[in-house]
Amino acid sequence: METTAQTTISRRDPAQVMRLSRLGSLHQCRLSFMRVLTRRMAEENWSFSRPKFDIDAKGVGVAVYTATGPARSYSLVAFAHDLPPEMRSDRVIATAWDATFALFDGVPTEADIERLSKNVPYQEAGRVSGSELSLSRANRSVRLWAHVVECLSEGRQPDPAQIESVGYLMRTTAVYGSGKFGAADRDIIADRAEMKGPFQAEMLSVFLTRAFVRDLVEHMARARGGDQAARMAPETARQLGIGNSTGLGMAPYIVNHPVLFNNWIAAREEAIARVRSVETATGEEAACFRRMLRRSEISAARWRSEHPVQVEKLAALAKDLEALAAWVAADDLLNDRPWDRLIRWSEAELSLEGQELAASLILEPYGELVDELAPSMADHNKDAFVIDGSMPVSKLRGLIAESFGWALDLDWDARENCARAWYVSEEKLEPRMGERFEEPISEYEQPLAPARDAALAHAALADWDADELIAGFLLRHPEHRHTVRRAQMSQVAPYGEIRSNTISDRVLPIDMLRAKLSFFGATHFDPRSDRWVRICMYAGAPYPEGLTTANSDLWVYPEAEQ
Amino acid sequence: MSFSLNEVEATAKRAARGAGYDWGLAEEASKATRWLCAQGLDGAAVLAGLLEGGFAANLPAHVPQNLSGSWQADALLCPLATGAALSDCAMRLQQAPQAMGPIAQPAFILPFAALAARRLGACVTIEGEGFQAVTDGSVLQVEGTLPDTAASLTIRAEGSLPASAPLATRAEPEEAGWAVLNRFAHKTYAPATEESRLLGAGAGLSDND
Repeated sequence: METTAQTTISRRDPAQVMRLSRLGSLHQCRLSFMRVLTRRMAEENWSFSRPKFDIDAKGVGVAVYTATGPARSYSLVAFAHDLPPEMRSDRVIATAWDATFALFDGVPTEADIERLSKNVPYQEAGRVSGSELSLSRANRSVRLWAHVVECLSEGRQPDPAQIESVGYLMRTTAVYGSGKFGAADRDIIADRAEMKGPFQAEMLSVFLTRAFVRDLVEHMARARGGDQAARMAPETARQLGIGNSTGLGMAPYIVNHPVLFNNWIAAREEAIARVRSVETATGEEAACFRRMLRRSEISAARWRSEHPVQVEKLAALAKDLEALAAWVAADDLLNDRPWDRLIRWSEAELSLEGQELAASLILEPYGELVDELAPSMADHNKDAFVIDGSMPVSKLRGLIAESFGWALDLDWDARENCARAWYVSEEKLEPRMGERFEEPISEYEQPLAPARDAALAHAALADWDADELIAGFLLRHPEHRHTVRRAQMSQVAPYGEIRSNTISDRVLPIDMLRAKLSFFGATHFDPRSDRWVRICMYAGAPYPEGLTTANSDLWVYPEAEQ
Repeated sequence: MSFSLNEVEATAKRAARGAGYDWGLAEEASKATRWLCAQGLDGAAVLAGLLEGGFAANLPAHVPQNLSGSWQADALLCPLATGAALSDCAMRLQQAPQAMGPIAQPAFILPFAALAARRLGACVTIEGEGFQAVTDGSVLQVEGTLPDTAASLTIRAEGSLPASAPLATRAEPEEAGWAVLNRFAHKTYAPATEESRLLGAGAGLSDND
């Protein structure tokens, strides 16, 4: 990653940052992909339209939402369905949904919509084309949907407590991009300014989905209540996000894309280092931080989970926020590198949740130092894949030790250290995780245990002369090729490796999911088991028609009460 | 049918793994197949031919016995493992051409010669009986016809190419080869059991509320 700003405080050590427990405590920040998108669309004055809304009284039909930027347009094609309750499931093995979507590259013709209507509703069982950038689906929150339709149809506004307790009317259960099911490859859009950052097409798709869901619920209320039906109050609509259920399928992503994941983490770490290096803050910068802290407290108070692990983390976070408020009250936040002092204090006094929240929050006053890092979060380095066979064995061993020193002495034969195995099921071709010693899965194991594999390669390399070239080793040991590749990648991607055991009996895949989703900008992580999580996206954000430079960024923090 | 290059890559990786190659070589196979498709060639058919050769079952017999001198084995060289070695040893092409053979599916060497060309920052020429190919890493020019097996290949860091040619952004593989890849890929999928359905994907609290 290119960097120009001067930093006197260096980035945090990968050994500290890349532990799964910390990655599983990350929070959104200025560099989160949703905020990058909404800032850009507001700055560039994108326009939005709804060229089609052809949905019947039962809620079945199609709608099109088009977003137009300086260079091109993108359209969400949304299909609304009448789904019997017994078919509603967030699991990836579902075969029908309340609504299905494709993000079309441009403005679709009637023929395009006709083609998509024969494929998009079937999701994985259909095919899309190089004109589509993503494929997704969503299910209603049954109880909130029914409540909102009922209230609005009777001319009343929904109960704020119910709105707050659920937070969304629909949740997406998969958003596929990057060439999946026939869609356009990432390469097709990677050089467009507005799509350069990671997951911008997917984030745009969800942003437009949220507008569709609001329009659909109002449409259903009108269909039931006729003239007496009310529209949703703007402040209520604004509070609603789009939920998302994310399962194990997403967890391997951050292992399978070490350079990309490095770029996300490295950008945030660089941002943190830059802000910690600020010698003195202005009064306005300190005030900005205090405002965002107060708004974070409100957000944290609305964050609910029934999962025991998250319940405990939320209790710790509540204490952390109290301690942070007290520390901040006792300090003017102006002198002697205030943000570095805050971070060093947090490392001694707060839980990982609180530490990472503080690290994200100090970035808020410093858009001019931070926001320019967003484009560096994409992965353009295709050559990182290519192995340099002229590297001596000794150097390769050193690289492995650098990332995986902690793993080399672990007893990898002990059952607790290799209790799990990742595999792909025949059923939906989705990654799953199973019990190595209880299920017949180890022969199908996916390469998602880089630490164990690194220890094996490191041991095999011990038998080779230090000056021997790695090409010779690989000719005899092709089984270590993927590990050699990753070790060499670590030279350009120091934050590319998770420094925890991804197959131990205690691994929590939800930590991997949260690490990824925090970069999307998700909030209110609610694990539903150790391997799937619900989140909320765009809660508090303006809707397309109301997006301005004044509200395009800080929407993620709920407004403090006046 | 039209596939995205990402689909080609994902299918090729699973297929190579299903045919018995280790993950690192499966990764090479997937990138190589994608590269061939981007050149407008049927990379899936080439990979299918290679996988049906069954080299992975006894790979040591199908890799160069020694990296010095001409690359040979007692049996046909596997172009996937040999291609990976060629990419690994790219810098040696600066000193001398690399001869190798006999080798199966010489078309599968082309993507690895392309990786070498990228590392060298120069064109690489691949020559065999009845054909010659030149690549600078992104553009490929082939004269003649690539055989199913080549008695010998010579690879050297030289050659020149016309200005850049457009790359394909979609693949339309022949059905037969694509079916072969899917057959091999299927071997990497664990049969679903009721237990894995419940536990493996991690059902927990209700997902219909």
